[in-house]
Amino acid sequence: MRSVRIGVDTGGTFTDVVAVDERTGEITTVKTPSTPADPADGFMEGVRKVLTAAAAAAGAGTEAAAAAGAGGLESVTAVVHGTTVATNQLLEDRVSGLGFVTTEGFEFILEIARQSVPDGYGNSYFWVKPPRIVPVHRVRTVGGRLDHTGAEVRPFDVEQAVAAARWFRERGITAIGVCFLHSYANPAHELRMREVLAREHPEAVVSISSDVLREYREYERSVTTLVDAAVKPTVRRYIAGLADRLGMPFSVMKSNGGVLSAAEVVHRPVTTVLSGPAAGALGAALIASTAGHPSVITLDGGGTSTDVAVVVDGEPSLTTEGSVGRYPCKIPMIDIVTVGAGGGSIAWISPEGTLKAGPRSAGADPGPLCYGRGGTDVTVTDAHVFLGRVPPYLLGGEIPLDADAARRGVEELAGKLGLSAERTAVGILEISAFNQSNAIRRITVGRGLDVRDFPMVAFGGSGPLPACRLIDILGLPSVLVPPDPGNVSAFGLLTVDVKDDHVRTFVTRDLSLADAADVFGELEGRAAEALTREGFPADRHVYARSADLRYYGQAYEVRVPVPAGPPDEAWRAEVLDRFHEAHRRLYGYGYRDDPRHGVEWVNLRVSGIGPITRPAVRRRPYGAAEPPPPAAVREVFHDGWARVPIHRRAALAPGMTVRGPAVIEEYGSTLPLHPGFTARMDEYGNLEVRREP
Amino acid sequence: MSTADPVLVEIVEGTLASVEREVETAIARTARSPMIRDAHDFRAGIHDARLRKLTGRSYSALVQPVVRDFPIAEMSPGDVFFHNDVYLSEGGIGHLPDLCVTVPVFHDGAVVAFVQAFGHHDDIGGAVPGSMPSHARSVFEEGLMVPPIRLWDRGVPNRAALTIMTRNSRMPDSLAGDLDAECSACLMGARRLAELFARYGREAVEACFDAIIANTAETFRRELLAKIPEGVHVWEDYAEHDGVDPPRLHAQRITLTVDHSATPPLVVDFTGTSPQARGPINHAGDYADGVFLKKWLAPILRNLADTPDRMAELDVNEGVVPLIGMRFPEKGTLLTPIFPAPTNARTFVILRLLGVLAGVLAKATGGRMPADQETIRYTGVHGTGADGAPYLMREVLGGGSGGRWYADGEDTIHVVPDSRNIPVEFAESRWPLRVERLGLARDSGGPGLHRGGLGYDKHVRMLRDASFMSIADRSILSCWGVNGGRAGRPFSVEIEGRVMEGLVDDAPVRAGEVIRVRTTGGGGWGCPLDRDPEAVAADVRDGKVSPESARDDYGVVLRPSGGSGGPDIPGGSGRAELVGLAESADGPLVDAEATALRRARLRAALPGTTPFFDRGPGFPSLSGDLPYADVDFM
Repeated sequence: MRSVRIGVDTGGTFTDVVAVDERTGEITTVKTPSTPADPADGFMEGVRKVLTAAAAAAGAGTEAAAAAGAGGLESVTAVVHGTTVATNQLLEDRVSGLGFVTTEGFEFILEIARQSVPDGYGNSYFWVKPPRIVPVHRVRTVGGRLDHTGAEVRPFDVEQAVAAARWFRERGITAIGVCFLHSYANPAHELRMREVLAREHPEAVVSISSDVLREYREYERSVTTLVDAAVKPTVRRYIAGLADRLGMPFSVMKSNGGVLSAAEVVHRPVTTVLSGPAAGALGAALIASTAGHPSVITLDGGGTSTDVAVVVDGEPSLTTEGSVGRYPCKIPMIDIVTVGAGGGSIAWISPEGTLKAGPRSAGADPGPLCYGRGGTDVTVTDAHVFLGRVPPYLLGGEIPLDADAARRGVEELAGKLGLSAERTAVGILEISAFNQSNAIRRITVGRGLDVRDFPMVAFGGSGPLPACRLIDILGLPSVLVPPDPGNVSAFGLLTVDVKDDHVRTFVTRDLSLADAADVFGELEGRAAEALTREGFPADRHVYARSADLRYYGQAYEVRVPVPAGPPDEAWRAEVLDRFHEAHRRLYGYGYRDDPRHGVEWVNLRVSGIGPITRPAVRRRPYGAAEPPPPAAVREVFHDGWARVPIHRRAALAPGMTVRGPAVIEEYGSTLPLHPGFTARMDEYGNLEVRREP
Repeated sequence: MSTADPVLVEIVEGTLASVEREVETAIARTARSPMIRDAHDFRAGIHDARLRKLTGRSYSALVQPVVRDFPIAEMSPGDVFFHNDVYLSEGGIGHLPDLCVTVPVFHDGAVVAFVQAFGHHDDIGGAVPGSMPSHARSVFEEGLMVPPIRLWDRGVPNRAALTIMTRNSRMPDSLAGDLDAECSACLMGARRLAELFARYGREAVEACFDAIIANTAETFRRELLAKIPEGVHVWEDYAEHDGVDPPRLHAQRITLTVDHSATPPLVVDFTGTSPQARGPINHAGDYADGVFLKKWLAPILRNLADTPDRMAELDVNEGVVPLIGMRFPEKGTLLTPIFPAPTNARTFVILRLLGVLAGVLAKATGGRMPADQETIRYTGVHGTGADGAPYLMREVLGGGSGGRWYADGEDTIHVVPDSRNIPVEFAESRWPLRVERLGLARDSGGPGLHRGGLGYDKHVRMLRDASFMSIADRSILSCWGVNGGRAGRPFSVEIEGRVMEGLVDDAPVRAGEVIRVRTTGGGGWGCPLDRDPEAVAADVRDGKVSPESARDDYGVVLRPSGGSGGPDIPGGSGRAELVGLAESADGPLVDAEATALRRARLRAALPGTTPFFDRGPGFPSLSGDLPYADVDFM
């Protein structure tokens, strides 16, 4: 009988795999090196390892073990994959060879962009514009024009369309994006362009904007469509190869916090650009909700960067204004702020003589000084090692670290600053924590949320390290460190519903109930088809409506959830009420009772959701409060050097409380507990860090 | 010098930058006026209790006028101050639509800092919609003047003041919405800043403020000023018209004295600047020792840094002030206007001043500065929509930047950070018009070794009768080229063959007519005959340079490439062939031999001494036929 669900999260260094047996609730985790040349190798190795481990854990004789022991996938009901194939392609800027078709008269749309120059006043004098995603000599235009209602002003020019298709064919340009003005209101011309391309240039992989993002703003829609076209060949090739080797259907994590079958996701691969980080936020959200914290900040600390997201009532918040690398992607994605502060972040002295940490990173290779692989810069990890706050080894002792190299580096930097080595190392950590704090404030304060109301879930290899400092700087009530912090992303993959988003721009100051019913009906129809294709019977379809509204005259919208059911006057009043309230909460004012300020409807949205059963997190009863004696004692610096107890996390049980100063170590991560803080293990195995009252 | 902890300095500086960004984000997202929303013509700034500007990404208004009228000791938590009165702003506000909000930050019951924002609003009354009458002869025609007032008193908004202000605007709701956006954002910023003081204490935070300012002064002195040779350097440039008198040269002149051992090391003397204009291009700059203009001009110095990356890192805060002395001419010039001289188009003067300083520095450094750019002008239409309601569509379209010693100029950029054009799909859903083309104006970039960037070529078809407006300088004069580089093309507007001037309040446009706007190209840098012929061929392929310009300005001889899409080119050197080159499917090819010959011939024909600056063909028409100014030579 099939009962095992597997999550595979491919990261930069490791591929993390989690298997959960739905019958027993047993969770098995393994780690295997990632294989960047072909991530499918690491994927397959991880699946093999986890099935073997699960079988061993279950013991001989059980059905699952028998099946798994045979090395097969017979016991597996589902595989969900978090991939960085699209993310890395964009971050590493491997975007070239694209072609672009747009409306006649707009061939320079990418060159012009929004005319904006980033950052400071006067930068226009020296700014060098980065290369466009498609250089203008690979842009073709086609006649035909719609207006904003979708009505045709001039007919589609088939002759020019054919000429453009042949032009690309003759030059071997096979990844092509199409964006015509106002196609969000009427996709007819884009559909005809796609037909022409299919006929004249059958090898081409084509993305049309009305498929990718049915939303107004032509530049942003063009770039999003081109990002889709850019990653499509890569993602298709990767998914096809993986499907072949795996021999069973699987799903892919999307940036929006849902999954979709691999067969479906290849049509809009732009939806996977934040696949990996999204899984981490979702996993952390489930762990925190289970432990009684439905609203939290999630902090996923890696080697080069830290990803921060906000979860309200169990749901990570979404944005449509994200970007990956230098490419704006206006599709819904979990609102993640990435800050260049991780274990590998490099400490340096600015020309002004102040100490800085990051955003440049030593990465995993050569890595920090203490890795002894030729690194030449002091990193955040070196500062931790120097201060004794992390052990002089990695992965439970598998990899020793060169603590002397870290000390020499810190001392040299301290010499240049005229500070003590301890003050310098503490300073590096302090600055890194502030960089993270500012990112956390950006996604909370900026959204009208008070950071002091939110516990934080810290995970990833380096996430738990600054826990105590962040509690102080931000005034957080507590920090939750889940068991196996390095595996939260892979776990997150198992917690995710099937989810597909549909949007329609419909700008009006007076949305008639008939129009509302029409548009939501159309969107729900599309969502229903997608869910049916995913194998969900109609009675399990869930539709989540939302709408983007603004005060007439504003350029940005505020998104609010919209009630289900046939639109009537009460329905409309409810949506407007939610908008006024959301605006007030976000920006400190609203106009609920001031009819002079009209409200404009902009986008109507439906997410089609196919719910899955979420794995239960196992619970253990509370026991004694006193932890076992420490496994070791080490010199650690806080206010001064002192001998500090070192605890093994595996030796702790629910109810036990460790008092700082102390260090709690486990296989993939370390929690330095500063003086004045406690860490108590809850019944789900999380460590809850608080400042002592 | 300060002994602040280098770790805390970094933390305080990062927090200030983060607060500034949060305040600006909140305003951008909730404001109504397109000038704020899209053009991002608004700025936030954080100032300390000594009124020194601490943040460095933006220019900003000044706190001086608020403190002048409301002593710090009498301020209370929850107070919000407001002003827009140019002549009572100590030089911090240039024209009345810039509405400025100031919020004091409290710690232990005392004011320790200020969060301030100003934004360019749709309409504050006056003679024309948009409050920028190009023919104004006094500030009384430009709208409602509000000297510093207490707009919120201990958290309670002053309804009377708000009612008066909204009553005087043609767009009262938008004005009220914009003010709410500014006030809420500044109050939020003030709370964040108060947390910083609460956490580290006043003494430690203020020591960091001192260090942040001192670091900027030191960096500017060491990395930028050191690159300017000592001596006296003079240059001038011109606004071309003031909306009232016929076009003429309105000079702005800088005599820059550099003495690295003096205090201050730079002295900027504006003597020689033309008398105040009757029309609205004056800027009231001679207040508070010119502290606004010092911070406004200093970003130009960043171009002296070693790399563009380093230039972008350098902040401009109060630390630049002690490095720059300013000498103003007597009252009654463009920079020292006498109340109530009009000022709404003062961007003509203060934008030009950036260029004058860049030009002086180019002379001083042998050309190690970018050529000229012009990026602020307003074009738009107003009329009555299908619903009978009046509308005003007004956009700030940028232009090309000048060539640099390390790169070409960029196309369609803007001097104001994040200033955006209006999406066509938004514009067409909001106003009765259709954008038929949004492109680049071919050949607008000044030829050069490093070509100037291109301006816009935008074609707007009106769907209802309307009026066209524009407030633009550089419609006769060009953005100058430098060091052998040539001038870019000026701004121009045609409506079905009717040529518009730069300053237009309400030219009629009938339904169906197309307004064609071409904005300025940047000046070129270095001699165009030295430009890589392959780069010229690529520009022709991309439609940025015409085959005629390739031949005449760059001396590059091209021949068509193969491939479909390009028509067959007959022999000869006529116009038909040049047209064919531009349409050649994969771009034309360079005829290297013919190019070398042609360039040799063109070089031989160059005059022996050429001026260091090229002001373009419009200059003689205003200079009494002089081809250049006497200050244009090295």
